[in-house]
Order: sequence, then structure tokens, then C-alpha cells
Amino acid sequence: MQQIEIRSPYQVQKDVLYALLLREYSARFGRSRIGFLWVLIEPIAHLAFPVAMFGFILDRHVTGYEYPVFLLYGLLPYFLFRSICMQTMESVNAGRGLLSYRPVHLIDLIFTKALFTLTLESLLFLIIGTGLTVIGYDLVPAQPVQWLALLLGVALFGLGLGMILAAICSFMPDARTVIRVSFMPLYLASGVLLPVSRFPDEWVAWMAWNPVLHWVEASRDLGLAHYQPMHQLSYRMVFFSGAWTLFIGLSLYRLRRLSRVTT
Amino acid sequence: MIRVESLTKTYLTLRGRKTVFRDLNFEVPPDRSVGLIGRNGAGKSTMMRLLAGVDLPDKGRIITPQRLSWPVGLSGGMVSSATARENVKFVCRLYGVRGEAMRRVEDFVADFAEIGEYFDLPVATYSAGMRARVAFGTSMAFKFDYYLIDEVMGVGDARFKAKSKVLFAERLKSSKLILVSHSMKTIKSMCEVVVHLDRGRAMVYEDVDAGIAAYEKTGGRE
Repeated sequence: MQQIEIRSPYQVQKDVLYALLLREYSARFGRSRIGFLWVLIEPIAHLAFPVAMFGFILDRHVTGYEYPVFLLYGLLPYFLFRSICMQTMESVNAGRGLLSYRPVHLIDLIFTKALFTLTLESLLFLIIGTGLTVIGYDLVPAQPVQWLALLLGVALFGLGLGMILAAICSFMPDARTVIRVSFMPLYLASGVLLPVSRFPDEWVAWMAWNPVLHWVEASRDLGLAHYQPMHQLSYRMVFFSGAWTLFIGLSLYRLRRLSRVTT
Repeated sequence: MIRVESLTKTYLTLRGRKTVFRDLNFEVPPDRSVGLIGRNGAGKSTMMRLLAGVDLPDKGRIITPQRLSWPVGLSGGMVSSATARENVKFVCRLYGVRGEAMRRVEDFVADFAEIGEYFDLPVATYSAGMRARVAFGTSMAFKFDYYLIDEVMGVGDARFKAKSKVLFAERLKSSKLILVSHSMKTIKSMCEVVVHLDRGRAMVYEDVDAGIAAYEKTGGRE
């Protein structure tokens, strides 16, 4: 019979996150050896298709950079944002059974999913980046520290929005479908594929209401040397969209945590 | 000791807010096995979840010993794509049990469940009985101050039932239980104190028979 030691709250939190993360990784990769290859396919496809479509038109003369490099610096922040947001939203449902274990709280499931997605996506893009470097592209970020901080920021932005959406889905479960579908237009409106600065200015003025576009442009601004971002790019928008979203997401969790029903 | 202080618990439903408990107070003397009884919908399972700490009160406080089990026999917490061994390891990690101790727990559950090499196959391939064996074995592998049991106990065939009963009796020498049951026979044989939940109130009876009598007066039958 195993004795259970009384642990400090900090220790409990550490044990729980460790156990959940490990469980997440083994669920994804423990089963099959090619599991990792499957996960790689998605980001590669998102890189390969636009390159096949626009790669010939959008060469150095249009964007100032080789298209795959230009694309990657937009794709990475967008992907981090989208995946973390979606996974956070789903985590509330997916791990429900585990809430019966006393040390596991809903927020642990949410943080685990976000952390798992962040590490996974980072690893995937690290592999893809290494691959592209080997082929001969120059991918080294111009301002590495600021750029990495931005990526961490976009992860928190995604976490915040995911928590808001999870709260919405908790009383409107059907909203999930609509939310999933609306990521497609968001993708197109966020300047991942095409250089927004080359669009007519009155278009960009409208598009600049979308905070995700600012994050994408900021990533290129910090990552690519001598990049000319859209002149509307505002780091204030970047910071406050992330901070407010995270704040609202956490507050909604705090307010709505009582309404969950565990069975 | 278990103490509930001005506890309010409501649920939001499609037909408005339903109150399960309003401003509830009671205290159960320490080191006794507790039976939760009451009619269907009286809030027994809700109370169990609140005591287990898996559901939060709207208001008020619940004071329980630190080591309470999850609902015994819970198999909903098992990940079906993972093997029984991985599930057991997961629970060990949650409770900070590592290394040699973790291996002992694995061995214990494997021994007790007697499902052979299935122990290292995904839970999805198990029969309901096999799942229940693993789940029960996992709960029994740890020493808790209180084991929480919601109704069902006897799983498996006669031999396994007998075996679980012996093991459970062994655990109850040093631990207590909190039991939800509609079977007054079970309550009588296992509990030393009963909490009767009725219309949002809780009455604590240190005399089990008196508690059962009160329950039967409100229309509860076996």
C-alpha cells in the first residue's frame, strides 16, 4: 500500500503539470514511431502549397526576401496563435474525466494543452527551419531576442483567446463549428501569404483593425533585416491586444469555473 | 474530521438556476466511516463531489482531511488509448509517487487485477470487467484517509468479488470511507455515522439506525 505524502501547493502543481504533459506526449507519440512524421505534414503543407502557388510571382523583387523565408516568418506566429487557441478551447472538453482526480483542476488541463502545443509547434518549426537552412535559405532572425519574446507573446495571446472561446462554448456548444470555420478568413486577412504593404492603402487601413495582422507584421519586422512593414504597424496594438485578451480570458475562467459540471 | 460551513451550491440549467444546497452546515466526528443517504436528487453525489474537491462550492467552506481518494472504481479517468500500466503511472505522478515506489504500485495493480498481458495493452481493448478491476486496484494501491465510494462496489465474478472484499476490509482497518448508497444493508454494515440529505438540509446521525429510520420516513425504501 502506497503512502501519499503531503506536498506543498507548489510541489502539487509541478507534479500535476508534469504528469499531464507526459500523458499528452505519450498519447501523441507513444503509440507509433511514425507519429511524429504525421504531425510534421501539416506545417509542411502550409509552407509548400503557398510556395507552389505564389513562389514564382513573389520573388525577391516584390517582397525583398525569398518567398519561403517571407512566408515562414508570417506562418510561425500565426500557427502558434491558431493552434494554441484551438487546443485551449478544446482542452476543457477533452480532459473532463481527469477532473475526478483531486489534484487536477480545469486550469491545469488548459495550461497543459497550451504548453504542449507551444513546445510541439516550436519543435516542428525548428525542424522545418533547419531543413530550409540546409537547402540554403538564410533564416537567422535579425533581432532574435525580441523576435522570440514576440512568439512567446503570441502564444499567450492564443491562450487568452482560447480561454474566451472556451467560456463561450461552455454555454453555446454549437458555436464551436462557427469558430473553427472563421479561422480560415482570419488566416487570409492576417497577411501570412502576401505582403500587405503592397496592397492599396485604403485596404490596409481596414485590415489594420485585425490585431493578428499586427502580430504577423511585427514578426517580420523583428525577424527579417530591413523589412518594410505596413506603416500602420503598431507595437502598442500588439502588446495591448495580447494583454487584454489574456486578461479577459483569465477573468472569464475565474467567473465561470463554478458552472462546470464534473461527472 | 469533516466540516461543512455555510455551503451554497447551485447549478445553472436551461430552466434557470437550481439550488442544491443553501447555507448548509454540518460536522461529522473524526475517524468514522460516513454514509450519505437520501432520496434520488437529494444531492448525495453533488455532496460527494464537493467533499472530493472535484466540484467547487458557490459559497462556504468544506474542511476535509488532506488525503481523500477519488471516487473508488472510477474508470472514467482512464485514458483508453493508453495501457493500464500507463494509466497507473499517471496517477502515481499526480500524487508525487516516483521511482521504486511507482514500480511497486504498478506491480500491485497488475497482481490484483489479474488481467495478464492485457495490462500492457490499450484500455480500449478491455472488457468492462477488466476496466473495473484495474480501476478498483488502482484506488486500493494508495493509502487514503477516506475512500470515496459512490454506490457500486461488487465488480467482476464471485472470486474477484471475494478478493476485493478482503482487500477492502484490510484497508478499512486503517482508513475510513465515505459511502453513497441506496442499500441500507450496506450502509448498516459499513458506516458508523450517517448524513441524511433531504430537501437541501443535512442531518447527522451518530446512531446509524436512527438515521436510516429518518430516511425511510421521508419515503426512502430499499
